[in-house]
Amino acid sequence: MKPAQFGYLRPDSLAEAIGLLKDRPQDARVMAGGQSLGPMLNLRLAQPKHVIDISRLGELCDSSMSGDTLAIGACITHAQIEDGKITDVTRGLLTQVAKGIAYRAVRNRGTLGGSLAHADPAADWLTTMIALDASLELAGTNGRSQVKVAKFVTGAMETTIEAAQLLTCVLVPRLSTSARWGYAKYARKPGDFAESMAIAVVDPDRASSRVVLGRRSEPPALMQASSQVLAGKPAESLTEKLATAIEVDLSSVRADQADWTMHRAIVLRAIRTLT
Amino acid sequence: MSELGVGASLPRLEDERFLHGRAQFCADIALPGTLHAAFVRSSHAHARIVAIKKPSGSEKQVYCAVDLAGLRRIRSTAKLPGFKPSDWPVLTVDKVRHVGEPIAMAIGATAAEAEDIAALVEVEFEQLPAVVSMWDALAGGAPLVHEEWGSNVLVDMKLEAGDLAAAKSAAAHVVERSFRMNRMHPLPLEGRACVASYDGRLDELVIYVAHQLPVPLQIGLSQILGMSQRRVRVVAPDVGASFGLKTYVESETVCVAWAAMKLRRPVRWIQDRYESLVCDANCRDYHCKVIAYADANGRVLGMECDVTVDSGAYSPWPWPAGLEGGLALGNMQGCYDIRAFRGRAVNVVSNKPAGQPFRGVARPLSCCGHEIVMDAVAHTVGIDPLEARLRNFVQPAQMPYVSITKKTLDSGDYGAALKRAAELIGLPSIRARQKQAEPDGRLIGVGFASFYEQTAYGTGPFGYAAWGIELVPGMEPAVARLTGDGELILEVGSHSHGQGHETVFAQLANEVLGIDPRKVSVRFGDTSISPAGTGTYASRSMVTTGGAIIEACQLLQVPIIKIGAHLLQCKEADARIRNGRVEGPQGSVEFAEIGRAWYHHPEELPADIDPAGLTAAAGHKAYDPGVFAYSAHAAVVAVDREIGSIEIIDYAIVADCGTRVNPLLVEGQVVGGFSNGLGNALYEESTYDELGQPTATTLADYTAPGAPSIPELKLDFMETRSPFAMLGMKGIGENGAIGPPAAIANAVNDALRPLGASVYETPITARRVRAAIARARSGGTA
Amino acid sequence: MKAVTICVNGERISRSVDDRLSLADFLREHCLLTGTHIGCEHGVCGACTLMMNGQPVRSCLTLAAAADGRDVRTVEGYEGDALMQAIRRAFNLRHALQCGFCTPGMLATAYDILSRIPDLDRERIRSELAGNLCRCTGYLSIVTAIEDVHAQGIARKGSSA
Repeated sequence: MKPAQFGYLRPDSLAEAIGLLKDRPQDARVMAGGQSLGPMLNLRLAQPKHVIDISRLGELCDSSMSGDTLAIGACITHAQIEDGKITDVTRGLLTQVAKGIAYRAVRNRGTLGGSLAHADPAADWLTTMIALDASLELAGTNGRSQVKVAKFVTGAMETTIEAAQLLTCVLVPRLSTSARWGYAKYARKPGDFAESMAIAVVDPDRASSRVVLGRRSEPPALMQASSQVLAGKPAESLTEKLATAIEVDLSSVRADQADWTMHRAIVLRAIRTLT
Repeated sequence: MSELGVGASLPRLEDERFLHGRAQFCADIALPGTLHAAFVRSSHAHARIVAIKKPSGSEKQVYCAVDLAGLRRIRSTAKLPGFKPSDWPVLTVDKVRHVGEPIAMAIGATAAEAEDIAALVEVEFEQLPAVVSMWDALAGGAPLVHEEWGSNVLVDMKLEAGDLAAAKSAAAHVVERSFRMNRMHPLPLEGRACVASYDGRLDELVIYVAHQLPVPLQIGLSQILGMSQRRVRVVAPDVGASFGLKTYVESETVCVAWAAMKLRRPVRWIQDRYESLVCDANCRDYHCKVIAYADANGRVLGMECDVTVDSGAYSPWPWPAGLEGGLALGNMQGCYDIRAFRGRAVNVVSNKPAGQPFRGVARPLSCCGHEIVMDAVAHTVGIDPLEARLRNFVQPAQMPYVSITKKTLDSGDYGAALKRAAELIGLPSIRARQKQAEPDGRLIGVGFASFYEQTAYGTGPFGYAAWGIELVPGMEPAVARLTGDGELILEVGSHSHGQGHETVFAQLANEVLGIDPRKVSVRFGDTSISPAGTGTYASRSMVTTGGAIIEACQLLQVPIIKIGAHLLQCKEADARIRNGRVEGPQGSVEFAEIGRAWYHHPEELPADIDPAGLTAAAGHKAYDPGVFAYSAHAAVVAVDREIGSIEIIDYAIVADCGTRVNPLLVEGQVVGGFSNGLGNALYEESTYDELGQPTATTLADYTAPGAPSIPELKLDFMETRSPFAMLGMKGIGENGAIGPPAAIANAVNDALRPLGASVYETPITARRVRAAIARARSGGTA
Repeated sequence: MKAVTICVNGERISRSVDDRLSLADFLREHCLLTGTHIGCEHGVCGACTLMMNGQPVRSCLTLAAAADGRDVRTVEGYEGDALMQAIRRAFNLRHALQCGFCTPGMLATAYDILSRIPDLDRERIRSELAGNLCRCTGYLSIVTAIEDVHAQGIARKGSSA
């Protein structure tokens, strides 16, 4: 299908972009890489009066270190992360996740910020950034603010972003040299959204142990009991405790009974691959 | 056999244009002043139209059924007992019968504008309860898709042969299995498309359509539009695959043709993917219950089956729904020597798109029937499934073998093919492997599928005429014409949308005339140029069109030799054709000189030359019962018992289509067909909710196999020449798609057997495997 | 309407286009380059894949207006390119196309992976092809064709990141 009519705007600065959004709160959609918004426009699922292209805003296309935090510009593409073009603060986790997103042609345009703002629950970055306890920066008419990704996402395709706000960068804390991560995913076929995905990040030096389960239709969930069991102890010795913890977690995140064995297997595989 | 003729793996001559982006699909055809059509479609599965409100200011650009003046009805019939015909509405008249049914056509200057106008059309519906599944259709008190029928049964077919009572009483074992093959979409990468215009010079409708059957479409359009056939020109240009989707007269084609004639402007409609997934999810959708009666050694003495086919809302024209059920019955006994049979096939209608045949047609269903039950017999008797099949196969010595369903299995060695397939996967080592636990905890399984495919069948009582359909395929034509510069034009009635006809038919010309295939043009798809065959379908073109080409080229040999001998001043008996020349005892002449003599200097021709000259027309009469290709598939799977996912760790196909004119292209057909069958087995499903709303409407939801999904196939070919086809050829187009659902289902169930679990539903998704394992764990029946 | 200038196969083309026009439709309808095919318009099938600034992208999800100032290369634009010539030859020899509808997108993806990835084996080729659907060939011949070209070690002509 062809999109319904809209006006295309390409502001030259972040301030201009925010100004455009402020003037058209209900009628405008922000487009970064267009890989999520594009299909929605083509299917007429989204019918904005204006599309605001932010993909060329310099500020959003850079990444930089600030102390122990990597700030990744919202318009950095999945391919740039896949190709190792940003500083590696996650001991290779971000590169590994990037590789598995959709297909290269989509990764060449799709952006980290776009993916998080769109908040499709099955998007790999959501689960990843929550596992890393990352934050993101929002810029709007009231200036800039930061929010944890875990708090930013409130439901499937739902975030706390306001009408005249833009996601400007993602803030990822540097993992310690002793940190380990594990990643497992099941999709019907490679490139599809995952039916189940799990990322485990254990960083004893930063007192952090996080196991996150990603699913198709609900936002990623922190597996609290599993995370606690893992904190500071080698996974091999924890088989029984983990098994119990996973059951507790699957129940509290209200996983569909028909999917329990799948989610359990994926979580365990992520944990078993902790390196 | 030569380098360039039969048996040569010649790379395709037609590839150039596709590799350079110069192909001409319908959407690539640019006519000045083209308008675009978009369709207003039903958002309900079953509803009466109360009112249609056209958008103010654009009323003249919107057409409903009442506006399409002069159209005749489309009604497809068959002379099967009890068959109920239905009118196919070009645009909805009274009620819609599936989501996506076209209600109105909007015309705009661009596709986007046409969609804008369509979006503003308001339709008021009175919703009716929907018949979503085949069981809904058969339930007592079900809403009626066609009220005048009194039921939702389109046709109820029975087939009985042999002494089933005797088989039952002699049986030591009775096994029963049921399975479900869910609705799918044929998913050619190019959707449906057409561009229509009025040719003022010739006073003709010219319509470019992505289509497999140009002449039947021409006939259908001429009847519906009330125009003489000679004024309707159908051109099927490059077509981006079809697999059976682009075979019939469709609403959009009629509307666009009508609009072009009315507006005297070209009108174009290019289907988009969403539209296609909603409107064309129209194949498979079967249920089958099979019972086998076997003796103590596993010899199947008799078989029963009950098949239900959900054909969607309407019968398409010219070949109505109902054929699939009958085909399923007729092929249910497979390659086995089974002498008693009772079968029933009930075709129902439902509030879903009208069913159309998809690669393999009913054979993937019948293959599942005989192969799943054969595995069940094997396990009950306690023998390997390979052995059970070998004990039941029709043997070569019995051929030609007339089955109880009147199929004449003409040639082949089913046992040899299956043994070879088992050898390719290393069956003994897999059986040994299955006795150990896998380090990663997965379960290993092996499954076989042996089947035949009836190809290139003909007109008569064992062919199409048996259905009593309106358009029965007849002789297949070909015209061969030598040009003034000694090259060849072949005009044929089939249509190539990926099959490589421009190469394989040139190879046949090389075989007969010795002409270099690179000097042969193969022309098809244009009813003004091509002789009237029915098109390409049912794995027939190589045999039927191929046969006609051989005959036409043989006819052409006569004037070529005559003129050649005359130019060489030798006796005709001493002249022969070799390598594109005529050779005599003292020298030779090229075809170019022969052409020059005919076209430029007829005064130099022999006095008794046939005035028809260097053009030869021939027709091929297909052997009515058809010729039977066959294959053996062997699948090895690893099943993850926690996730339920299935990996195919090995897969072998041994195929026999008789003489292979171009082995490279035959392999392409088998591997391509396999990928469709794999999709059927593991991935593809057109799903509906309880209101009949389609829920797999984007390619994110409808999963087609990608490159990582295809295992490294082990392929082997046997060549048992058919005694009933020229050069011993048989068809192969659908073969690869028939075996995978059965082979993979058998392999998965072999893997799950230790858990007491089984899955008899395609696609075999991880979710279905998990559910089966959970059921078995909680004590449910396998 | 937006004024755009896009360099298409080395030629700068300036047009005034509907804001909502996709790059695919710009090329097909305005430039009459119909080699780029549209198979789904939601970025999954890959038929529309072409090079923009040297990288494969989905032209169905790229607005023409968003491609303003960019360098676009379609299947029609590889004249004299040794790598593409080798890919085409291999596709022909290995029967890596049947109906041809997916082919332009396949060629773009093949060109990209052969240029970008030094270690290609069959498994890697398959996974890199995941974003290009083919319904006719069953993919194996496409994988083999790409494997053949990889073994020939041809450097891609020109380069842009």
